[in-house]
Amino acid sequence: MTNVLYNVLHLPVGLFSENPYRTTTMRDNICLFVILLFCYSCPSVYIHAQKVNLMNQLPEQYQSYKATEWLDFTGEALYDYINGGAELYLSYGLNGMTGCKYNGEGLPQITVEVYEMTAPKNAFGVYTQSRDKEESDYGQGSQTYDDFILFWKDRYFVIVTTQKATPESRDALRYLASLVEKAIPGEGEIPALVGELPEENRVPGGYLYFHHYIWLNAYLFIADYNIADISDQTDALLAKYGDADARCYLLLVQYPDKAGAEAAGEKLKSKFAPELSPANPVIRLEDNTWFTLRVKENKLSAVFNGNSREQVENLYQSIYK
Amino acid sequence: MESITRRELLKRTAALAVGSSLLLNRPVTAWANEKEATSKVVLIRNQKLFANGSSPDLAICEQMLDEAVRTLTGKEDTAAAWASIIKPNDVVGIKTNAWNSLPTPPELNDILKARVQNAGVKEEDVSVDDRGVKTNPVFQRSTALINIRPMRTHAWSGVGSLIKNYIMFAAKPSDYHDDSCAPLATLYELPAVKGKSRLHVLVLFTPQFHHLAASTFSEEFTWKYSGLAVGFDPVAVDSVGLRIIEAKRREYFREERPLNPPAKHIALADTRYHLGTSEPSRIELVKLGWDADTYV
Repeated sequence: MTNVLYNVLHLPVGLFSENPYRTTTMRDNICLFVILLFCYSCPSVYIHAQKVNLMNQLPEQYQSYKATEWLDFTGEALYDYINGGAELYLSYGLNGMTGCKYNGEGLPQITVEVYEMTAPKNAFGVYTQSRDKEESDYGQGSQTYDDFILFWKDRYFVIVTTQKATPESRDALRYLASLVEKAIPGEGEIPALVGELPEENRVPGGYLYFHHYIWLNAYLFIADYNIADISDQTDALLAKYGDADARCYLLLVQYPDKAGAEAAGEKLKSKFAPELSPANPVIRLEDNTWFTLRVKENKLSAVFNGNSREQVENLYQSIYK
Repeated sequence: MESITRRELLKRTAALAVGSSLLLNRPVTAWANEKEATSKVVLIRNQKLFANGSSPDLAICEQMLDEAVRTLTGKEDTAAAWASIIKPNDVVGIKTNAWNSLPTPPELNDILKARVQNAGVKEEDVSVDDRGVKTNPVFQRSTALINIRPMRTHAWSGVGSLIKNYIMFAAKPSDYHDDSCAPLATLYELPAVKGKSRLHVLVLFTPQFHHLAASTFSEEFTWKYSGLAVGFDPVAVDSVGLRIIEAKRREYFREERPLNPPAKHIALADTRYHLGTSEPSRIELVKLGWDADTYV
């Protein structure tokens, strides 16, 4: 099926060129135009074609490395490849993963994995889960280590990894990462909600975008269940502020509507801080940290682990400056 | 087990007058139950394990495993210790872990196989396997299992644990992924597994304390802890390993950096599924050998 789609989507060049065996008629061209219009207007076909094109960019050989295994997984089949690790991608929304393994005599294996997410925001979300520092050597944000390079661009999250870092494998990592980056033509938009995160005192690279409740505990333990009604219909951000020894955390969630935000706010309040009230919007918890939770329009914001009432209030107020 | 929030932990912590930060970012402790049963875990380390390079020294591996098993069983003799675990007529499956980047060291698989055979088990009645356990003839007729794997952080279950190591016995592993792998302990109810586990060995030679994305591996996020944790209770052994991983993360990041997601399946194996003991106060931890930066 993949090859058929690929061929169909590359028909224009072949069919409009000279054919020694027949003459292309006006009726042929009209039919072809209709077929192509259908194909290009159908998102799934278009997406699949782009995935195939990315695969075609990967070389059969680089230096002493040769492509030895082509990877192509969709949906739950990804479990066969990385078992439970697949849930990270599935929790954001995944169309599929393609890639290739490279081997060479006496060389550590290299694996290229291209995760095609359902939307750029989801590739961005996986990236925010996967960064320890601010870097953008590849794509729209990247992390480079001796053993692997990962980056996101458009709706793709890409990992190039080696079993062992050697001069040869590091060179191949960089080459393959650049190749995949160039094969992805566009860029994806970062979720608009990110623009509402206050920048002052925010830890560089220290925020996470998600829409599955499991990731609520990424920076500090909050609850072992979906205490804030986070779902595919919400955009959620968790961000770190301040120095490591005086860190506080901002949770910012955008719901489809005001009613959803208010319901989630009530749930979080009743389970976490029932003593909150309009007259007492910032409270001190048992560990002497400060906490607030507010709902404004369709957004819920909560500050955890604050060092003072003022710090919490200022951080909350700066969201809406 | 009830669901739990940070606030509930804070209230409990205040009531117990216990240092808060450890408990707050380690809800495993709060999820634990209060029964009296205890489990013994032997943690053995050797500073010279990697003295000759990147591969563990075979002789030291043997010495560590033998001493740990003797201590665990209370036997002075290695053969007697193994005789108390494995009978000559047993059919033994050694469930290893073949993850490409951090597999069970082959040296340990070989030593276990040799010890099982020394206990009188025929060569054709012992097998080492991971992904092929469902179709492996020895595992299919096994009467005993030995569970061995390295501990590492994991993108969905918090850590790859001894409890999780039986996932390959499941007809459909993804059935156990719900709620960040909360029900993993139910793997021990599978017919291929139930009642067969004789020994659990958590390899802490070079544990992985951090990862990025789901399939990356970097030596930067491992360290030469040079240890083995051995016990009869997989929950207790995992609980010890988890504390070591969490302590290393605190040291490395210089701040509280809880596992993401938390490794709740270990505590739930205790409180919800009653597979073993996760609460540190109910684990008899015997520490042997190198004692620098033990973390527990």
